Order: sequence, then structure tokens, then C-alpha cells
Amino acid sequence: MSEGELFAIAGLTLRVGALATLGVMPFAIGVAWCLVRLEFPGKTLVRALVGLPMVLPPVAVGLALLWLLGRRGPLGAIWETLGVDLAFSAWAVGLAAALVGFPLAARACEQAFAAVDRRYETVAQTLGVTPFATFWRISLPLARRGVLYGALLCFTRGIGEFGATAVVAGIIPGRTETLSLGIWSRVQLGEDGSALALCAVSFAIGLATMWIGERWLARETP
Amino acid sequence: MLALAATAIVPWSASADELLAGAAVSLRKPLAAIALDFEARHPGTRVRLSFGASSTLAAQARAGAPLEVFVSADPQLVDDLERQRWGEARRDIARNALVVVAASGFELERPEDLLAAELRRLALPVRAVPVGGYARQWLAQHGLLERLEDRIVQTEHARATLAAVDAGHADAAIVYVTDVRATPAARTTLAIPQAEQPAILYTAALRAGAGELARAFFSALSDENARAHFADAGFETP
Repeated sequence: MSEGELFAIAGLTLRVGALATLGVMPFAIGVAWCLVRLEFPGKTLVRALVGLPMVLPPVAVGLALLWLLGRRGPLGAIWETLGVDLAFSAWAVGLAAALVGFPLAARACEQAFAAVDRRYETVAQTLGVTPFATFWRISLPLARRGVLYGALLCFTRGIGEFGATAVVAGIIPGRTETLSLGIWSRVQLGEDGSALALCAVSFAIGLATMWIGERWLARETP
Repeated sequence: MLALAATAIVPWSASADELLAGAAVSLRKPLAAIALDFEARHPGTRVRLSFGASSTLAAQARAGAPLEVFVSADPQLVDDLERQRWGEARRDIARNALVVVAASGFELERPEDLLAAELRRLALPVRAVPVGGYARQWLAQHGLLERLEDRIVQTEHARATLAAVDAGHADAAIVYVTDVRATPAARTTLAIPQAEQPAILYTAALRAGAGELARAFFSALSDENARAHFADAGFETP
């Protein structure tokens, strides 16, 4: 395996992980805030649905995604009309990573918002601050530690995704081959040396991510 | 700002001077060489090859994977795709043969030796994977399939089957002669006579509506240069 190939695989993995995390966080934050601050019927069901991708077999998540994104699925006609092929593209890798990372991010955000003292929000609102401004300037900053931890979990889970990705994105060199897919395909080919090199890169990325995350969290700890 | 950050990290997207071909993993060596020659003859282009079990790649093609050229180790998989109007042209490009291998130290002189008690694990992919089907066909000819069924450890594709023996995860396997040739290692082999060989034919298919580059690559798969690469790797050419 060439150095260029290794960098390409690591680069794709990192970009897809970052993109998935960026895409997921607004939803995770929104859903978490609703679950903590609003009362509505079916809340337990929503909470269970949020956690679902975490407990489903990743392969099942992948198959569901393929069904939704593929040309033969219920939305196939739409993709055909738009002329986009989401399945077996880097977008599919990102979607798979986002879907499996979402529950982790949402759970962490939920706990973070639950720990925010409601009185600060009440005081702000009695002083005439709009609900959105209260959220943006009071709740979110107070919950930032948990929210960022959620983003970290989402990112790390996303870059390690395998089962769902293999199904919905295949293992296409240069297009959808991430570190975990690359390790698997090289083990299958009997190229243990290359597989180990990719393992080492995964290890380094994982360690660096956690180190940066832990450093940041330690600094933020009151 | 978030949108800006997002566009900066958006993963690579397809371009016109690049083509994606999916191929049976047993063709890895000759196809990589053919693709290199093709890129040299068409400067600025890039051939991306996705290797795997033909059955896996065919399933991906059916589900909408952007493969423009597909080379299968079993023509039936191309027939199936044709029924779904996937392709617009097909061509038989190479032939292969099977061989029985065992880790060095085992004795293999006739097919029945596979029943030896010390050969505990026989590596084979599922029947849907071409080599899994061909190997079972040959085992059944000798009345060995049922007797060996519970010793089969499942592998992903042809190359993984040989790798399983080389890594010591399996004691024996039935693989393509070209794979044995491509990865030299100490092994015991049992040749399968020509009369018992199943017809192993590689068929290339061009997707309907494929681009110019894909068409050129599809043609290049059966030209003089390609035949030389296939012969080098131990394949027969039609």
C-alpha cells in the first residue's frame, strides 16, 4: 500500500467523520433540548426512537439506508429525477456515520441540558429575553461541556463505523473506503501488513481525538 | 461559517475523467496491470477498481452502485444483471481453473484425502460466490460435498479463501490456480484434471449509458495487451 493511498483513506475517514458530526449536532441539540424542556405525549417513544440506531445491528441500519437511498427503494424515483446517486458514494458513508453517531450525541446533549439550572433560563425570560436568545446565550453555553462531549462521541463512533457503511456504501477504493473498511478488505486479501498500517493510523487518530477531547474537558471542568 | 466549513471538508466527488470498475477479486493482478496501461494510454484519466466477490459486486450494481464496468467470475451474474437491463454489452475475457490447496505438511494425493481427520477446516465462500459454487460442484462430483459440509469455514471471496490457508485459519481450500500463482507460499497442492474442471469464465459487462472512458476500458479488457496480462497471470483467454 502506498503512502498516498494511506493518506487518502485517513483523509476520507476524517472528513466524513467531521461532516457527519457537523450535520448531526444541530439535530442532536434540538431533539435533546425538546426532550428536556418540553412536555408532550409520546415522549418516551421519541426517546426510544432516538436511541434506536444505537441498539440496532449496524448492518440493519445500513440495509435500511440502502433501501431509502437506493434506486430500487421507495424514494428511488426521486433520486433518479434529481440525477443523484447517494448510495455507494461518500455521502452514504457520511449518512451511515451520522445515523449511528446521532444517539450518542443526543444522549450526551440531553444530559447536559438536564443539568442546566432552570432558574437561569426563567430569570432571563422574566427580564424580557426571547426564548431563542435564552437558549443561545444561557442554556447552550451552560451545557457546552456535555454538548461537546456528545460531538466527540459522535465523531469517534462515526469514523469507526463499519457494518452500516459496508452495506450502503460498499468498499470502493478512493470513494467510500474508510479506515475500518480498508482494514477489513486488506485482511480479506491476506495483506496483513497493510491492514496493520491502517490499524496503526486508526489508533493514532483515536488517541489524538480522545486526548484533545480530554484536554478540552479538563479545562472546562468548573 | 458552518456551511463554509462543510464545503471545505466535503468528500471527493466523481469527475468525468475517472471511471469505476468492479471486478472479481481473482482478477486483481492482471486488471491492475491493464488499468495502469490504460491510464498511460489515456493521460489524465484514472481507473478505480473495486475488487470483491462477483456476487457482492453484482448485488451492489443492482442496488445502484456507480460501477460502469463489471467483470464477473460467473457469467450467470451478468445474465441476472442483463435481465434487469443493467448492461448494454458483454464479452467473455478470460478462463480460470481450480486447484485444491492445503497447508504444507498435509498430504494430498487424491480428492478423498480431504476427508482425513486432521484436515479439520476447509475454507470456502458461500455458494453464491463463484468460487464457492465451482468448488462445491467439483466436491459433489466426488461425493465429498455432504461429508465435508460441517468442516467448511466461510470466507468472503476467492482471495480470502487462500489467505485463510496461508494464515493458518484453515487447513485446506479449493481456489483458483491463478491465486496460488499470484501469492507464492509453501503449500501442498492437488491438481484437478482438465476433465473434472468446471467451466470458469470471466465475463465483462458495460453498464447501459456508460461514458466514453468506460467504453474504451471495456474494449481494452479484451485487446492484445489485456490478453498478454491475463496469460502472464495464468489465465486462459478466449
